[in-house]
Amino acid sequence: MRREDAVTLGPPGTRDYIRVEGLRVSYDRENTAIEDLDMVVGKGEFVAVLGPSGCGKSTLLHVMAGLLRPDAGRIDIGGRPAGGAANGESPRIGYVFQDHRLLPWRTVGQNLSTVLRAAEVNPEEIEERIDRYLGMLHVERFRDTWPMRLSGGQRQRVSIARALAVHPAVVLMDEPFSTLDEVTARLMRQQLAELWQESGQTIVFVTHSIREALFLADRIYILTRGPARVFDVVTVPLDRPRGYEDPRLTELEGQIVARVMEVWGYGAVDVPPDREG
Amino acid sequence: MAVRAARVGPIGPERLRRAQAFVVAALLALAVWQLATFISDGWVPSLAEIATAFAEDVTTPSVYAEIWITFKRILIAFAGATSVGIALGVAMGLSRRITAFFRPIVVLGLAIPDPVYIIVAILVLGTDESSGLIAMILALIPFVVNIVVSGVRSRDRGLDEMSSVYRLGRRRYLIDVVARQVAPALIAAIRTCFAFSWKLVVLVEALTQPRGIGAQIYLSFRLLSPEHMIALALIFILVLRAVEALVFAPVERRVLAWMR
Repeated sequence: MRREDAVTLGPPGTRDYIRVEGLRVSYDRENTAIEDLDMVVGKGEFVAVLGPSGCGKSTLLHVMAGLLRPDAGRIDIGGRPAGGAANGESPRIGYVFQDHRLLPWRTVGQNLSTVLRAAEVNPEEIEERIDRYLGMLHVERFRDTWPMRLSGGQRQRVSIARALAVHPAVVLMDEPFSTLDEVTARLMRQQLAELWQESGQTIVFVTHSIREALFLADRIYILTRGPARVFDVVTVPLDRPRGYEDPRLTELEGQIVARVMEVWGYGAVDVPPDREG
Repeated sequence: MAVRAARVGPIGPERLRRAQAFVVAALLALAVWQLATFISDGWVPSLAEIATAFAEDVTTPSVYAEIWITFKRILIAFAGATSVGIALGVAMGLSRRITAFFRPIVVLGLAIPDPVYIIVAILVLGTDESSGLIAMILALIPFVVNIVVSGVRSRDRGLDEMSSVYRLGRRRYLIDVVARQVAPALIAAIRTCFAFSWKLVVLVEALTQPRGIGAQIYLSFRLLSPEHMIALALIFILVLRAVEALVFAPVERRVLAWMR
């Protein structure tokens, strides 16, 4: 892929609200998940992290959220070191996991109030934020409902509302729509794109779907198959709002597929002679 | 029409079948008992004798005083064992180091037969009330710990990560995340503990105490009155079942409401 192609390759941006430098994470002596990874994300930017399944994308988010300690390197968010969730000094994170991770014994409203109380938001504001963010995600009518009574899409909406309600420095999203049916997932992507434009929230979105990354993100960090390194950084040259079936998006998808085939490990696959052409 | 019948139908007959099974089992047990009466040459009291003794005991006010004494002992042993057992079980479930320290003690505690606790306590502390209570608490703690540790270990680690990301803090994490996940196991532990307390307290009272239902059952044994032994046990079982139905069941319904 050349820079003149519709997808332009950008140098790591000049806006560096989130700065990841020389990150290395290993599970043990033999298994390195992330190797020498650099990344920058601007304030209010929507960045997708794209890579094949199991390449270390989720590990990157875990380190950003303080759930894992890196072996080397550092992550700063808004000028403060990230990676210590227990440390009140580190920036507040909103996290949308692959599964909803709501407390099943708390109603939808209580799930939000639990994290808001932990964030020391005052009681009047807690009520106001619950109403506002559930409303924003169109799930306000489920405020007094147990999460088990909701559909997968509704639960994930509540999970996004919870992440936004704590007014985080950044929202980390780990393949949040991968367990949903395609129709619901498309609707959710559409709503997330609108929500991001409304809120101006900084979002780091992990996915293995090239089309999803192109539809949602300003820039895409393409990672190598594990250990994860930055293979390429792509600036998406599409205006918003975007269409999921937009032909230009399909064209960009084709270009990226062609580019990552080899590095994601599919280029060397031999086709048996009897199946050729 | 056929579909509607299939949807609505099973609820009624299923309950009826369960009720029938219960009635058949109860009648069978009574028949076996009565048969045992005939072939035991009078040593197994007949159903009529037990019914007479039951009516006699249930209308004797002093029996309720004995029940109250036993019930207080059960409550003390139950409270002591559950509070220590739950605290230790949660700590062991969350920390491998604490588990490494206490695991051998808990395993040993589970292996020791209950009467050994009681006999050793009597030998060391004498026959006053505290020795029996301490023996019961020590005998019950390993059971509670075992159930609670399993519950804590099988918790959803994804919710641990959520708690950490949203900085719920230690207290909120324990109350809102761990305790609620462990609630079914905790309720099982509390019920088990309550049931075991009753069995042990009768043994303790029979061996060491002049008062309480266990002491009265032992007195009936010495007076060669098995029908009163059985009648007293039945009365106390009814009391415990009432406590189960009026206290534990509503608490369980409330705590596990989100599951329904």
